[in-house]
Amino acid sequence: MLRLWPLGLGVNFSFTGDGEHNGATVGLGNYAELIDDPLFRTALGNVGLLVLLLPVAVAIPGLLATFIYLRVPGHQVFRSVYFFPAVLSPVIVGAIFNLLLAFDGPLNAVLGGSGLGPVDWLGDPDVAMFTVVGVHIWATSGMALVVFLAGFSTLDPALLDAARVDGASLARTIWHVIIPGLSRTIQFVVVTTMIGMLTSMFGLLYVMTSGGPEGSTYLPEYYIWVQQGQMSRPALASAASTLLFLIMLVVGLLQVGLLRRAGRED
Amino acid sequence: MKQRTLWSAIPVAGLVVLAGCGSAADPDAASGGSKGKLVVWDWKSGDAAASTYVKKAKADFAEQHPGVTVEFVAQPFEQYYTLLGAAIQAGKGPDVMLFNGGGQIRDRADSLLPLDEYVRDDKKRLAGWEAFTKDSKTYAAPVTLQGHPIYYNKSLYRKAGLDPEQPATSWDEFVANCRTINEATGARCFAQGNKEGIGIQFFLSGLGSGVLSPTEYDDWIAGERDWSSPAVKRVFSLWKEADAKGLNNDGANSTAMFNDAFAVFQSNKAAHVIGLMSDIGHWKDFAEFLGPDDVGVMKSPIVTAGARPSLPYDGGIGYAVAKRTKDPEAAADLVRSLTSADALKSFHADAGAIAADRTVDVSSAGPAVATIVSEIDRGKPALHVALPSRTVDLMGRLSQQLLSGSVTVDAAVEQLAASDQAG
Repeated sequence: MLRLWPLGLGVNFSFTGDGEHNGATVGLGNYAELIDDPLFRTALGNVGLLVLLLPVAVAIPGLLATFIYLRVPGHQVFRSVYFFPAVLSPVIVGAIFNLLLAFDGPLNAVLGGSGLGPVDWLGDPDVAMFTVVGVHIWATSGMALVVFLAGFSTLDPALLDAARVDGASLARTIWHVIIPGLSRTIQFVVVTTMIGMLTSMFGLLYVMTSGGPEGSTYLPEYYIWVQQGQMSRPALASAASTLLFLIMLVVGLLQVGLLRRAGRED
Repeated sequence: MKQRTLWSAIPVAGLVVLAGCGSAADPDAASGGSKGKLVVWDWKSGDAAASTYVKKAKADFAEQHPGVTVEFVAQPFEQYYTLLGAAIQAGKGPDVMLFNGGGQIRDRADSLLPLDEYVRDDKKRLAGWEAFTKDSKTYAAPVTLQGHPIYYNKSLYRKAGLDPEQPATSWDEFVANCRTINEATGARCFAQGNKEGIGIQFFLSGLGSGVLSPTEYDDWIAGERDWSSPAVKRVFSLWKEADAKGLNNDGANSTAMFNDAFAVFQSNKAAHVIGLMSDIGHWKDFAEFLGPDDVGVMKSPIVTAGARPSLPYDGGIGYAVAKRTKDPEAAADLVRSLTSADALKSFHADAGAIAADRTVDVSSAGPAVATIVSEIDRGKPALHVALPSRTVDLMGRLSQQLLSGSVTVDAAVEQLAASDQAG
């Protein structure tokens, strides 16, 4: 009851009006307005972009964990270095990268010095979303890396030795030995990373871009916050929330399906 | 299986039955305080600089209402309207609350008590009422004035061989001066921060009186905005042109106005900035870095013939009363105490803000303040404050698109007109 009642209220509000229509039933009016709103469509498009970028977000900690597992020089140091950002608040991470990625900041100074020219990392609508996702991956990959390392501890070392004896290259070892051996770990990291990307980027977005430039970095939860808090449109925000809930439900069901299938394969 | 389906269907059916009943904002709920106690929400009372102001206001109120307790709850500004909106919707909002002038208070006017009958005696003493007015009803009493003077760096003018006491009065002359300054000192013309889309608001209000005719300006404030007029389009083409000509610092769309753009001005990297009159990004901040005598204040240069430049300003912040407060008279009296001459005098002295009270003496605050205050009687409300908040929000995004070239001026004003008409 405690969980369903607030959910029910949210769905209920989404069918009522805002402002002078406060309390009046508007049917699917809020949903029609959402579909018509290019900003909300951008936010939904960005959800799709996050799903597309998911393999990158999983591959980076996976590769780093592989290098650590294969004992690259300094691997014990890297284990801590890669994990360290996971303990930082998104607000702090955002503030740090705001300084680093400022138009007249140190990264652009280096790029300018090398003749590559400055990039408006947070001011170019074609670049900003990738920048924020990149920082999110930087900040959160440590946790996925730990999960991968735990998965490596279950990997049969005899298979790796056999690959080495057969003269397999690193790429072939990863493709034919490590990835199949870690399939369940990879699936788990895919699920948790996807949840993290869809639900935990608000802090970074708020600090780094405020949804800009041109609304290019809006995500549904940021849109909900703006409509509810800044535009004083709780009913519209409730409709957006309900849609986000439905999206998460579909994504969640797909994930459950994936996990079940993985379980059956074992 | 059938039973499981049935149990799943019950909550869904409940949702369907509920759908469309009630509202997100509960119109019948009472606000937070009780009889004998008033709760005030703001983002100022926690500041050390405002402590004397709050003490004086409380003392003034206590004299009139010795049996009423007043509790101030300072909220973080970044979350203020989110928290306030949620509290009002839940019927747990405060009795008295602080608002910025403009869209935020107008959007919530339905939940507020019209104060006209209570503040009649303060009308002449205080300035800036328009920003707290909707449909001829006043919903808050102004504490400070907020406006958008064009500040300039007199030291850069001097280094470039220009007379710092004679800033440009026409746009062409202004651009020529900027070129001279850039060649002599390397400084850009404008410190511009448009990361949150705030830059365009300051630009529209700071330069608007130099572009629109006086009649068009007054019509705009009165709500009769002709977005297709050449002068209105000129403001947005000027915004684009200023950036294209290199008048702004680089990366305006990724530079935050607070405080990065102001830092550009303070560090002599730009000769002008359209700043504020109170709280932050104002003469006091700039004087700390540039020196009080090097902070100049100028009116907008004339961009189109017939324009009559003036200081754009409104009520900055003001206290309002919740419609559902249990003791409206006491709450209105508290608002009057919070805007009493004695309290506002302290607010000006300690926080450096330009108080809404015309009787407060500002003669010791420096030359920039003297220039601003001398223009108050001739000034007019700022253009962007007259817009609904959703139009301001859209304008922020469109202004970024104008800078990146992904929208034309015509398309931008068309969208703004549609949003403005939708209210």
